[in-house]
Amino acid sequence: MRSLFLLTSKNLKLLIRAKSSALIVVFAPLLLMLIIGLSYDTSTTTINVGIHAPALTDDVNAVIALLQEKDFKVVTYDQTIDDCVQDIKSGFVHTCINLPESLKVESNTPKEVTFYLDPSRINLVWMIQDTLQSKFNFKAQQISQEISANILSLLAMSKQTVQEKSTALQTAKTQTASASGSTETVKTSLGTLDATTTTVNYDKTVLTTAATDLKLASENITKASAAVDNANISSSDKNAIKSLLDEADNSIDKALVLVDGTDTGSIRGLIESLEIDIGLAYQKLTAIAETLTSSTSSLSSAQQTLTEATATLESTITALNNLQTSLEANKITEASTIAVPIVTKIEKVGEEKTFLNYLFPTLLTIVVMFTSLLLGTTLVMMEKNSPAFMRNFFIPLRQTTFVAATYLTTIILIVIQILIILGVSLAFLQDSWSVFPLLFVILLIAASIFTFLGMMIGYAFTSEETGVLASLSLGSVFLFLSGAILPLESSSPLVRDLTAYNPFVLIEKLLREVFLFNNSFEVIWVDGVIVIGYAVVLFFAILIAESLLQKHLVHRFMKHHHKLHRQTDKQNKNDV
Amino acid sequence: MVLIELKDVVKEYSRETILNDVNLEIDEGDMYGIIGQSGSGKTTLLNMITGFIPPSKGLVLYHSRATGVAHDLADHLPKIKKQIGFTPQHNSFYPKLTIKENILHFGRLYGLKKETLLSNAKAILQVTHLWEHKDKLAEHLSEGMQRRLDIACSLVHKPTILVLDEPTADLDPVLQKEILALLQDVNKQGVTIVIASHNLESIDTLCNKVAVIHKGKVHTHGTIEEVKKPFFKEHFTITMLPGVNKEQIIHNLQALPIDKIVDQGKHLVIYPRNIEKTVTSLLRLIKEENLYLNDMDMRRPSLNEIFEAITKQP
Repeated sequence: MRSLFLLTSKNLKLLIRAKSSALIVVFAPLLLMLIIGLSYDTSTTTINVGIHAPALTDDVNAVIALLQEKDFKVVTYDQTIDDCVQDIKSGFVHTCINLPESLKVESNTPKEVTFYLDPSRINLVWMIQDTLQSKFNFKAQQISQEISANILSLLAMSKQTVQEKSTALQTAKTQTASASGSTETVKTSLGTLDATTTTVNYDKTVLTTAATDLKLASENITKASAAVDNANISSSDKNAIKSLLDEADNSIDKALVLVDGTDTGSIRGLIESLEIDIGLAYQKLTAIAETLTSSTSSLSSAQQTLTEATATLESTITALNNLQTSLEANKITEASTIAVPIVTKIEKVGEEKTFLNYLFPTLLTIVVMFTSLLLGTTLVMMEKNSPAFMRNFFIPLRQTTFVAATYLTTIILIVIQILIILGVSLAFLQDSWSVFPLLFVILLIAASIFTFLGMMIGYAFTSEETGVLASLSLGSVFLFLSGAILPLESSSPLVRDLTAYNPFVLIEKLLREVFLFNNSFEVIWVDGVIVIGYAVVLFFAILIAESLLQKHLVHRFMKHHHKLHRQTDKQNKNDV
Repeated sequence: MVLIELKDVVKEYSRETILNDVNLEIDEGDMYGIIGQSGSGKTTLLNMITGFIPPSKGLVLYHSRATGVAHDLADHLPKIKKQIGFTPQHNSFYPKLTIKENILHFGRLYGLKKETLLSNAKAILQVTHLWEHKDKLAEHLSEGMQRRLDIACSLVHKPTILVLDEPTADLDPVLQKEILALLQDVNKQGVTIVIASHNLESIDTLCNKVAVIHKGKVHTHGTIEEVKKPFFKEHFTITMLPGVNKEQIIHNLQALPIDKIVDQGKHLVIYPRNIEKTVTSLLRLIKEENLYLNDMDMRRPSLNEIFEAITKQP
């Protein structure tokens, strides 16, 4: 233990006395934190945005004002967008936006806003895309809202019209049904009418027979008169009988004329007149019967049409009712809701924090990672390249003590740095002081992991320069594969899987959980055990590496000095 | 008393034998030099002695000063580590710590009690003449002071053995001398010292024992005298300081049984083929030719020369 303390205090003395090392140890983390803090500060932007539009209309000016609100520096290009694109290449502007003259949508063709970005500046692309698109999305939303409002008012009008016309159609349907009923009644009534006739032929032989009989009677009278003349009866009697006979003959002649005369007063004439009248009546009745038949047919057809019309009206009313129901069922009546049906609302898990709070775990991890890596490497290199390296072999101490001393030295320095950082942070993060003890423990574990990794590098590399370079490279790999700089979602699945084992990611996650969400040890213990496991495994790996490399390193050290000595010796001989 | 013993030690790297059949004994209080060409395996040998690398075969034994019992280093490394102080080729302390902080840091890591540590630290800083500068950052020290600090860091826990790999490398002669003097002082305080070095002159003057590593084997070892003795006959040198007649002397020397004459400006260094014959002939020549010499010195072979002779062997 005493030896450990001695070696550690010696390491600290050496570090402090080497000005460059002291600078790295004390100021580097603070400088690193300052630089990273400034780098990650996105509260203000100095992005130059080039805008080209056919004319500086109100819409275009509104967009420019929108961008200027967000602290973008807007440069307008009057001629062509190509000038702006050229300026992207020369770095004068960071992005170009080609705007239409008006943003009002008057046809089915949407208005097109084109962004020109330099894809090689990945971070900038995302930042610009994120910021500018949110602004343009807002503008597009406004336009969309106007269009939706118009459509909604038209829909309201339609609904009202449908309602009105649906009532009219209902009336029409009732009337049509009534008409159909009337038609049926008429048809039934007409059906009861019998207009059927038969052809009547009167037998006029009776008249002929009567005329013959009358003529026979007249002849018989004539014969009776003659018989009277010849009869022995008084003339008077004869005359009287003859006069009566004459009168009878006259009456018979008259009756004959009356029965079989040709004038209209005769029975024959009368019958013939009747025959003509009946014939006419027959014709008329036949026509009536035909008309009745056709009317009945027409009525049937009309009734069918009316029935169909009623059905059509019924279905139209149903359709209109459905339409009305559908229109009434649409509860979205706000244009803003239609324009932006889904409002993205980000609920922050945990308490509302400042930007510094969100950045703080990452910053701490970065500082501890780089400092530990560099210190681990530097201390091992310092010892390896120290002239006293070989003497340590002859000191009766276990190599574990030297490894532990290097680790302890780094941890002491890291503790100082963590205390400085946390102390300074208290000025800005007063509310978070309660989680600082747990943060401190996690950072110590982080420092252990990265110190061991740094020490591994120290043992593996020959010169301090290459060792430091390797440490920085390893730190950069951890950083790049952590999602802190580039989003991991854009990387391959393999890289994403590997990232889960990245100690930087694990440490940052732990710090975030504790610092931002105030999670207790009970919640984070699994990740905690993993990182402690990392530290333990690395410690044993260091011991193995150290035991394997120690003799090799001392041999190389001796060989190097032996060679130098021979060269000097040779030089001296040559000089002599 | 034997403190460290290497028995049949073999070290192989990737089937290549770096050291083979090494048998050495280092006694308590020795100042033991290990010399060899670059890549001969000196550092490997030191690393096995310090326990940094185990031998492929054989044993590295540490004898207890109290009981004399030998312990295999591989089995008792943590315990034996406390007895060893190691100073590698390069400085091995923290440049951003002061002298005092470095010393106390390493002392504490060895588990010394505060009083003992402070006492040790003061003593070692005084020995290394760093006490006045104890509050200076190590990186601001001169090269020599840094080397001394390095040695001080290795000694703060009062080890019984101090192992140094090229302690004077890259230092100017003055600083080398300073470090060697320090090591002598340390050795006088009872610390056994094992040094691997290219600087054979310093090994020659500093160490009482030496092992020469050549082609992965200990070619020869023992006291400096023991190591040099086989080379006396063939590696004696005669150094002359002739007067104005230098050319004549060189001309006359051509007739003598010598390997070579090296003209060093004022001095002539003669490498005799047979020391006795050469000296006899040389004295006769001086007398007969009436040659005038300002000075003449006969010197036994240096470790450097012996080392060169060894490394030239096939």
